[in-house]
Amino acid sequence: MSIRTGVCVGGTKRRRAFPALIAAASILTASNGTAGAAEDASSASGAQASTDALMKKLQAMEQRIKSLESQLKKQQPAEPGRAAKPAASNTAGLESGVRAQAAGETPGKTASQAPGKAAGQASPKAPADPGMQPKKPILGLLDSPVEGLAFGAYGEVKYGAFRNPDAGGKWQNGFDAHRLVLLPTYAITPNIIFNAEIELEHGGIAFDADDKRHGSAEIEQMFVDFKIADQFNWRAPGIDLVPIGFINQRHEPTQFYSVNRPEIYNGLIPSTFMVPSSSIYGRLMDGLSYQIQISTSIEDFGSGFDLRSDANGVLAGGYAPGITGLSALHDSRPVVGDFRQLSNTMAYAGKLDFRPSFLPGFAGSVSGYFSPNVTPRGAFGDFGNTLGRASLGIFDAEFRYRVPDTGLELRGEYAQVFLGKPENMRANNDTDPTNNVGKTMYAASGEIAYHFPLGTILNSEWEAVPFYRYTYENLQTSGFAGTDANTPTGAGQLQFHTLGIAVFPSPKLVLKATYQKVINRDPAGAQSDSFLGGLGFFF
Amino acid sequence: MTSWIRLTAPAAVVASMASPAGAVQYLSIAQAQKQAFPSATSFAAIDGRAWKAQAGSQVLGVFVVDHVIGKHLYIDYAVALDTGGRVQRVEILQYRESYGGEVKENSWLSQFVGKTSGSALKVDRDIRNISGATLSSHHVTEGVKRVLAAYGSRAR
Repeated sequence: MSIRTGVCVGGTKRRRAFPALIAAASILTASNGTAGAAEDASSASGAQASTDALMKKLQAMEQRIKSLESQLKKQQPAEPGRAAKPAASNTAGLESGVRAQAAGETPGKTASQAPGKAAGQASPKAPADPGMQPKKPILGLLDSPVEGLAFGAYGEVKYGAFRNPDAGGKWQNGFDAHRLVLLPTYAITPNIIFNAEIELEHGGIAFDADDKRHGSAEIEQMFVDFKIADQFNWRAPGIDLVPIGFINQRHEPTQFYSVNRPEIYNGLIPSTFMVPSSSIYGRLMDGLSYQIQISTSIEDFGSGFDLRSDANGVLAGGYAPGITGLSALHDSRPVVGDFRQLSNTMAYAGKLDFRPSFLPGFAGSVSGYFSPNVTPRGAFGDFGNTLGRASLGIFDAEFRYRVPDTGLELRGEYAQVFLGKPENMRANNDTDPTNNVGKTMYAASGEIAYHFPLGTILNSEWEAVPFYRYTYENLQTSGFAGTDANTPTGAGQLQFHTLGIAVFPSPKLVLKATYQKVINRDPAGAQSDSFLGGLGFFF
Repeated sequence: MTSWIRLTAPAAVVASMASPAGAVQYLSIAQAQKQAFPSATSFAAIDGRAWKAQAGSQVLGVFVVDHVIGKHLYIDYAVALDTGGRVQRVEILQYRESYGGEVKENSWLSQFVGKTSGSALKVDRDIRNISGATLSSHHVTEGVKRVLAAYGSRAR
């Protein structure tokens, strides 16, 4: 690639030199004519001699120009449509990286150290190599100005019509710039890697009321990986995603087909389920990998910081539960900042991913999460009772199967939450008789999708993926215990029919349209149907 | 917080001892060359990233090292082409990202064997997508395709 670099760099210089040479030749020609006219006849023989000399020089220059022109013509077909400059450091990086590796060095260390050198080593005997163009590390657009630094991004925009249960189920139109996420990655060394997700949600936040911002800015991930061996790597303490289910860790909008994330990840698995944590992970063998994580526990506390005491307990006067029979674990994620966690409890999670070689196109995982105690310090019921310890477990099993040589794709998932002591859950002691929880919550979903190629449009290959997903959730099973009256409305038994199409102009971009019918057992109905469009990207 | 220290300290010790050993490099170039062409006696450099594998004077094929961006960081990979310009073997030499490492697996890489510069080499057409590693699988596939475009005819 350095050869190509040399061609590009050299070509650029020559392109600049070419008009300069023509200009110089014109000036020389013009000045030659002027000078000739001004010469005295008596010095004709001398003038003739100098003209001859100039003509020889001009002929030599013409020859040189022709030679340069022919060289340019030879080079241009080898790099159709390519800008010369950006290719330089990329290709030089590859060349120097490969050389360094061959010499026992690491390419990451040397890749961007010697672009100039590699370019300088370029030889005109370089082979033309059409299409050899590595991707750009900065948002797919630019070379990285800092060795090892890369920036990616993902985001999603949603719009459309939805029934608002808080408005009596009336249909309303709306728009949400749901999230824009920047993904800085920095290879401190080839095996010590920094990763982060910096996220702006719902248009961001603002301090002035007239800016009308109601979103958030948050660090969703921030960790350093020590890549030790294929079988064993260490993720140092930081903010990371709980390894449970598929979508929690791979939640970019190009990974699923509906506008909103699959329903299981909106409660039973409270995605984006990010926690202060540390983990080990690796590949045990071909087709089998694992991750084991220790993290600060989720908490049965759904209120804001105004109801947390400075002693890191709950304030008197009442607080919202983190775990309920209406929204599952949605509000239970632990705090990730300022030493404000509400218990000392550590939780444990583990995941096995498998892709059996005897079943090409199949991928699945089983995963679990366990916290010995989700009760916050000072937790109480509204009848004055103290709430004791309560354990919580989550189990998830899921698969994705793209049937080989067809467009058919099947996905399925089962998730269950186990509550050790329902009598100690805040939802069962908050005087709200409708949000109570039993001993478990569970959900199952099945999805069928078909991939249709749409051909090449606007220089990329498009694909359409119509899909249908059915999800059943029961968040209020039997086993209720607590001081509350227990009169659930049936709102915790849910069915979701989700039908739509996802159109991928490229694997990095998706346009979505989704209709969702939500049914529950509440006599008033779920009143949450929606018809949404969406745009998602990940690069 | 003591449990943090208790549980992470052993891993930190292992990490700090093991990391100076080098990157998680699955194969060096020399190892990958040997695996791709076990009978080769020499590898003559064609340019900075390609070698002609030879057994004495007999040409066995071409060995090319390249890299692509996976999700955000480079994946180093090697492609061995036989004298017919067909892919004989693809190996991942180095994978740096936290997610998407499934492209390293033989069951996926073996799909490239036999492909030529005339093959479609498109994910979901003649190469399976890897669920959850879409970008890496697309980019490695594009990488093998461009290696074939650049060197497919030079192996003959």
